[in-house]
Amino acid sequence: MQSAPTSSAGSAAKATGNTPLGGGGSKDSTATKRSTRVRPGDFIFRGLSTGSAVLIMVILAGVALFLIISAIPAITADWSTNSDLNTGPTAAFPNFWAYVGPLIWGTLWSAAIALLFGAPIGIGIALFISHYAPRRLASLLGYLVDLLAAVPSIVFGLWGIIVIRPFLLPLSDWLNANLGWIPLFGGAVTTTGSTILAGALVLAVMILPIITSISREIFLQTPRLHEEAALALGATRWEMIRLAVFPYAKSGIVSATLLGLGRALGETMAIALIISPAILVSVRLITEGQNSQTIAANIALNFPIATTLQRDALIGTGLMLFVISLAVNSIARAIVGGKRGKRKKGGGKSSSPSPLSQLPSGDAAVSIALDDVTREGRATDVDTEAHISEDDVEGAGK
Amino acid sequence: MKFKNAAATGAVVIAAALALSACSSSSSTGSSTSAATSSASAGVVSPLDSTLKGTITAGGSSAQANAETAWTAAYVAQVAGVTVNYDKSQGSGGGVTNWLAGSYDFAGSDAPLKAAQQTSSQTLCGTGGGLNFPVYLDGVALIYNLPGVSTLNLSTDTIAKIFNLSITTWNDPLIAADNPGVTLPATTITTVTRSDGSGTTQNFANFLSASDPTDWTYPATNTWPIAGTSAQKGGSGVVQAVGAGAGTIGYADHSAIGKATAATINKVAFSQDAATAAFTAGATTVPTTTGDLSQKFDYSKLTGATIYPIPLISYQIVCSTFKDATQASLTKSYVGYVASTIGQQIAAKNAGSAPIPDSMLTQIQASLANVK
Repeated sequence: MQSAPTSSAGSAAKATGNTPLGGGGSKDSTATKRSTRVRPGDFIFRGLSTGSAVLIMVILAGVALFLIISAIPAITADWSTNSDLNTGPTAAFPNFWAYVGPLIWGTLWSAAIALLFGAPIGIGIALFISHYAPRRLASLLGYLVDLLAAVPSIVFGLWGIIVIRPFLLPLSDWLNANLGWIPLFGGAVTTTGSTILAGALVLAVMILPIITSISREIFLQTPRLHEEAALALGATRWEMIRLAVFPYAKSGIVSATLLGLGRALGETMAIALIISPAILVSVRLITEGQNSQTIAANIALNFPIATTLQRDALIGTGLMLFVISLAVNSIARAIVGGKRGKRKKGGGKSSSPSPLSQLPSGDAAVSIALDDVTREGRATDVDTEAHISEDDVEGAGK
Repeated sequence: MKFKNAAATGAVVIAAALALSACSSSSSTGSSTSAATSSASAGVVSPLDSTLKGTITAGGSSAQANAETAWTAAYVAQVAGVTVNYDKSQGSGGGVTNWLAGSYDFAGSDAPLKAAQQTSSQTLCGTGGGLNFPVYLDGVALIYNLPGVSTLNLSTDTIAKIFNLSITTWNDPLIAADNPGVTLPATTITTVTRSDGSGTTQNFANFLSASDPTDWTYPATNTWPIAGTSAQKGGSGVVQAVGAGAGTIGYADHSAIGKATAATINKVAFSQDAATAAFTAGATTVPTTTGDLSQKFDYSKLTGATIYPIPLISYQIVCSTFKDATQASLTKSYVGYVASTIGQQIAAKNAGSAPIPDSMLTQIQASLANVK
């Protein structure tokens, strides 16, 4: 990372005041290039960072290869006659796809419910921290939310079993008695509380820190001028947020939500502990025996007892999860990219790209750390070479 | 770079799957292992060579994990040069897989080797294949939570009908017939089963399909075959869920049920003696190879006031011929100790299991003597 030149370029641009967007950045960066001498440190750090970049590709390829090679025997086997596969966890399924289909549904379904609860609350917390809370409370709250991310999922699982399950029982009974005609709340109501609703609620809590942290960073980056302009036009706080903050942060919110979704899709331990699973496609929320199982929890539950080919089958389901995660990330990219393109066409000065669009969507902590780096440049409305792509320069130049 | 998240997710899944112990996490009596120093005059004795040195690597069934801890502590107290590492996180399936791959000196498994596994073990163990030694005996308990009902008796037929979900309320005439004089509420029955694959499920399903094939038409496998139950992770999960919900009934290793209330089955309550009596009365050896001691229960013989009807056996699986003579002598010494009267008493005291009868221990010792 060229963080040092970036910040110096940023402060230089700040000093000059109203530098046109993009132009100042490129001018600065060419100047930086010219003045840089090559030192041994440059070689070493270049080598290290290139090595890291190559390593992540190698690891990814390794994981993908492992999943594919291990899964093939199970995918191609005849499940009804194979003595390894027609017993135990894989019994009663004619082939791999009949086994993995309900699991995919369960994975998506539980993650979707978790997102339904988690995303609005997470964005709400982020908005409170960035625009409503007094500064001291905001930093405390932000710290607490980040702390939530440090709680291990097994602890969330135990909390779900001991606290959330019994807590939701009266609600489940009421929903079943009064709204039982809706398929979601139908079926035989739970007595132990191990429902997909309980699991998804715990999952929602688990994805809160990711969504909150990222949204908060985005909200904080809303150009001060936009906010003040809105307020000057007579907008209330809420109207200002609606007019200035949300449009600016829209793609960032989508990214944050989808990162949360990624976490929800892969969550294993809490789900395995809380939900009473069955491998079937069901939308029921508050039953004991009709909760769709998720891929990750299914692997965790059955791996220890699985025979060789059953392990291959489970790894095959893992491959499907890999593919789903990949698809979710691609969709996130497409949404963010699409939004950016549209806005660019509109041609306003606010066409600055979402900071997240240039970040690897992976570990939230990395994103936030990178975000902080980006913000230094962004606060002064200057994009520097370190984090701007070709088309952004074009877009900004127009 | 967008692959990174997916890669991370995939890696997490695999890592989590590997790290999880999913079998019955039977946390029984505080494991203050008493190193039994008084050599019992009677019973099966396995002489220990205290000069042995080395490491035994093993793993598998978590049902026998508490017993393994007790055996290891007592064994190492007498043979100080030997370390025994038993990895219960693998579960029975993982134990056998790793043993077949040559990573383990013995595997702990709730089921004996299947025919295909026996065949593939010949690459590891020579033509003699692998030997299954029954070393751990416990019972499957049916625990229930029904406020106001402190004692419950269930017949085999009723159990099968409850667990195939055809009996749905506690005041069903069949349950009432099993419990004369007990007032049963009209509460809905919630059956609690295992969501993870388990030897407990295997043994319970064996019992159901053998004792009541008309009501229990499902295969006897290590995963619960029917949806519609409350499926929980691990024996502790079942015990927890039964404790939490009124009207529940579930099955778990008896050594792991803690304070939960267990029903009597055909009027027999679990006791260590009743489980041992079941082994004596109903277990027959069905060898898959020479010297093998795989057991099969004839459930029709498990009747009578002193015989517990749902016993649970766990095995230690060793090679008939080891590739390494040192590991052979180490493993023979340890398994020999486990299959001695003292070893069984240590497990009974510390892990709550039932002692294997001496007649079977004698056979294990005889078979073990031929292991090379």
